[in-house]
Amino acid sequence: MMPGSPLANLAGEEVGTLTAAERDQVMRQAGLDRPLHEQYAIYLGDIARAELGYSYQRQRPVAEVLIERLPWTLLLTGVALIGSTALGILFGALAGWRRGRRSDLGALGVFIFLESLPGFWLAMILVAIFAVQLRIFPTFGARDLYSGLEGLAYWGDVARHLVLPVTTLVLITVSATFLTMRASMLSVLGEEYITVARGKGLAERQVLFRHAVRNALLPVATVFLLNLGQTVAGATVIETVFSYPGVGRLMYEAVLARDYPMLQGGFLVITLSIVVANMFADLAYPLLDPRVIRHG
Amino acid sequence: MAEAVAGRGRRPALGAVGWLGFAMLGTIVLASVFAPIVAPYDPTVTTGRPFESPSTTHLLGTNDIGQDILSELMWGGRVSLAIGALAAIVGTAIGTLVGVLAGYFSGWSDAVLMRLADVVLVVPFLPLMILLAAYVGPSIASLAIVIGFLVWARPARVVRSLVLSQRSRDFVVAARSLGAQHTRILRLCILPSVFSLSLAEFVQLASRAILLEAALAFLGLGDPVQKSWGSVLFYAQARGALLSPAWTWWVLPPGLLITGAVLGLALLGYELERILNPRLRLR
Repeated sequence: MMPGSPLANLAGEEVGTLTAAERDQVMRQAGLDRPLHEQYAIYLGDIARAELGYSYQRQRPVAEVLIERLPWTLLLTGVALIGSTALGILFGALAGWRRGRRSDLGALGVFIFLESLPGFWLAMILVAIFAVQLRIFPTFGARDLYSGLEGLAYWGDVARHLVLPVTTLVLITVSATFLTMRASMLSVLGEEYITVARGKGLAERQVLFRHAVRNALLPVATVFLLNLGQTVAGATVIETVFSYPGVGRLMYEAVLARDYPMLQGGFLVITLSIVVANMFADLAYPLLDPRVIRHG
Repeated sequence: MAEAVAGRGRRPALGAVGWLGFAMLGTIVLASVFAPIVAPYDPTVTTGRPFESPSTTHLLGTNDIGQDILSELMWGGRVSLAIGALAAIVGTAIGTLVGVLAGYFSGWSDAVLMRLADVVLVVPFLPLMILLAAYVGPSIASLAIVIGFLVWARPARVVRSLVLSQRSRDFVVAARSLGAQHTRILRLCILPSVFSLSLAEFVQLASRAILLEAALAFLGLGDPVQKSWGSVLFYAQARGALLSPAWTWWVLPPGLLITGAVLGLALLGYELERILNPRLRLR
């Protein structure tokens, strides 16, 4: 398998029959004959001009392929992130509220178990059960390619294809949010304003949602950021299992083809989007918790 | 005085959760370590018909070329666990070093090292690992190093905060005001507690590393010569096990073993951290 030279993909099947001179020419055309530091300088210059290079494998500009694939990854990870955050907050709040009871310990066990599952394996099991045996959901892809569906039916089809990958991603990323929310609830529930709220005679439900949950949400915002990276990382393998046409699967195919420009381009886009998301979250944090402004 | 007694006193014992983790992990480790003796067949040799379902001769059936899956998994465990352990050693070593340097010599080295740790924490592991694994090539050592280099940030942060709190303890301040050198303070006052915490972090990292190795091997980026649990699943996926009844004995067991090892390590690490981290214990 690995490692390999991109030469084979540049020159195609004749790679074995090339003379040394022809081989040199192919390498020169791709700029692979220059010293590594020069190649790196050229690479940085290209990035500055938003020039991500040319995919050896697809014979198309890297940026063009990425733009085609990015929406699918954003859809998949976006839905999964919303789902796992919502579920993690809900169950974390309830578990923290019922601290030490059987339901709390049961939930704790389940979520720690979920954290130990290999995502790709969970995906395989879901495919075997729900797609192959029960035939409820499609086995692969993001949409039916030849159905010619339009409008609402098209989006229904997209949603059906999304169910299993999103479920997998939610299950493997949800525990971080759950554990943080639970721990945060435990510390908030010890605060005096909770005692005051109870003393005012508020219903338990109101104390829980109005006073406890809202204040316990803050640390979850931080975990959300770390989860962002985890979700994108998890999506790489899961897209591969489901043949989902996102950036993750693209990177995987690029690895198999030793398509280095594609790999670097994909990695750059993934990293950049996470850094940008982090920046936005940092900017949004003072809106969530005005106390951080004071500390400057 | 009271605090000194509490600090010196007996450590809390491993709880039921810790023992459960220990038992899960122990079973899997023993079965893998003694694979040459206890595995029923040589996993590289065809010993049955292809896609044989589980029976008394092949407890977990056979794969597409008639190899015994149980034996394959026992041998595969050696690779998976070895990479997990090696990667965790690399990660813990880097993390401990960085944590001690950043925590003890605060200032610009702290700032630089911790920003570096932030970067490593935020960058999505798997795409980066795919990239690195593709460049360095697959072997147990290189995979372990790649994984180790990507997971050191968490232990670095935990160790740093421990060092920070130890450094301001009275006996360290006293030692310093008596003119003790950095090496002496580190050796006598800081490192002993750091090392026990590193052990807990090592166990946690091993659990992460096993998951990451499995994902890499599943993508076909593992060592092609030596099958791990992840690469068994790679072959199962590639040979269409999901489309046949074979998934129940070819796909389920390796995943359960990965989950078992990861969960065992996580539970054990969780308990060890509770016991060995003085910061958590004081609460």
